[in-house]
Amino acid sequence: MGIITISREFGSGGESIARLVSEKTGFLLVNKEMVVQGLSEHGITKPTSRLEDLDLKSSEDQSGRQYIDAMHEYLYDLAIRRHLVILGRGGLFLFRDYPPALHVRLIAQFTQRVQRVTKLYDLNVETAVKLVKEQDRNMNRYYRQVFDVNWNNLRLYNLVLNTEDMGLEDAADIIVAAYRIHAEPRELKDGPASAEIEDSVLTSPADEEADQFMHPSEEEFAHMLDFYRIQWEYEPQTFLLEWDSEGNVVEAFSPDFYLPDQDLYIELTTQKPKQVWKKNRKIRRMKELYPHINVRLIDKRGFESLLKKHSIDQDQEEGDKD
Amino acid sequence: MSELKPYDDNQLKVIVTQEQIEEKIIELGKKISEDYAGQELVMIGVLRGSTYFLIDLTRKMNIPFAIDFISISQYSEQASSTGVVRITKDLDVSISDKQVLIVEDIVDTGLSLGYLLRNLKTRNPAGLKVCTLLNVEARRIVEVPVDYKGFDIPNIFVVGYGLDYNEKYRNLQLIAELKRPK
Repeated sequence: MGIITISREFGSGGESIARLVSEKTGFLLVNKEMVVQGLSEHGITKPTSRLEDLDLKSSEDQSGRQYIDAMHEYLYDLAIRRHLVILGRGGLFLFRDYPPALHVRLIAQFTQRVQRVTKLYDLNVETAVKLVKEQDRNMNRYYRQVFDVNWNNLRLYNLVLNTEDMGLEDAADIIVAAYRIHAEPRELKDGPASAEIEDSVLTSPADEEADQFMHPSEEEFAHMLDFYRIQWEYEPQTFLLEWDSEGNVVEAFSPDFYLPDQDLYIELTTQKPKQVWKKNRKIRRMKELYPHINVRLIDKRGFESLLKKHSIDQDQEEGDKD
Repeated sequence: MSELKPYDDNQLKVIVTQEQIEEKIIELGKKISEDYAGQELVMIGVLRGSTYFLIDLTRKMNIPFAIDFISISQYSEQASSTGVVRITKDLDVSISDKQVLIVEDIVDTGLSLGYLLRNLKTRNPAGLKVCTLLNVEARRIVEVPVDYKGFDIPNIFVVGYGLDYNEKYRNLQLIAELKRPK
């Protein structure tokens, strides 16, 4: 999927620019309003206090933490299915290590921002100054608390755009062009996610010959499912995972099989037990991010025991069933 | 216990004792008798592993029942590219509108039991349940209902009480883990 994240200083025209970028690219616009609405459809309501005001370290604000976690999960979930323009919401950090994402920061001089806010919200200058200062403080606090980063570090972004004296249309055009030049080609090249999703749409699950299995064990497993007349799809879905605290890039994760009748994803691994921890970690992470998804790991031992059982049966005239 | 001697280089380790099995079968026989009292029950043994269990279980029941057997082909790598599972010995009785209890020696992946359940369901039984002596949740691939179970065991290769290794150890009166030499 395509991802453009837009972080903006209050009063730098972010809302309007993000909307224009969304219109120009056809990507779904994700802003605060949209997230609140989307989560409420899942029965998750926003805490009454503003997220920026929450003290996430205090136990009293557990609901705030939970809401933020749910929001992040919601964004990951959306990103699997849609191309997105994400305004704020920590999108920069959530998709930090996803190479095809373009991270944009909009800036403008304080006085310019005050001017824009004065006009936009019909305020007097004094109130606008207060508001802009307060918003700046809130944003700094929020990103520090939730992501433990200084979001004013401009090195975090691929594109920093000064919107002073710049038309909103022009700003949006620059962002779209930057995305096309910088990010999109990487999606095609490095993005197994979208390629696989498209493949799975084109490939009928029954069209076994069209499936290119990555590993002989997967083919064997598919044969076994066929034998028992169990419907399956090969790597139909890619799940985005967060990146771990050591800074290791944890890619998207495509479980090998999906059994639609069971609503179950299966990952096979024939790696030695020592190497399985990596997959186990991925699966744990996936369960955290997508608790409603059933995923099961069949490890080398489990897989061998499947085949071993069957190969024993082969020695017999007529195999016992399991 | 004296017979717990492997026929070859394999090692045997007792997992469930004869006494534990006997106790459990009494318990299951009582429960099934209560649950199916006054109903027309067909007990279906899945060949061949479940025969010992089925016979001993029915001896501990005090309600009338019909008994029948079914057998399905097993997956093998040779058969894999073309074959699909099929019934190699079908039921001789009709199960339409009757209560059916499938009796298994072991439920592990759920693949063959899943097929069996789907197949029998099309014959319109009044009810379809599963009783298994052993349940290996760790090996489950497809979810299958297990209504009556004897013992949950981990992902190990077991023999005895109907379960064999190359036709050996079936007649052990206990369940043992078979460890093959390296």
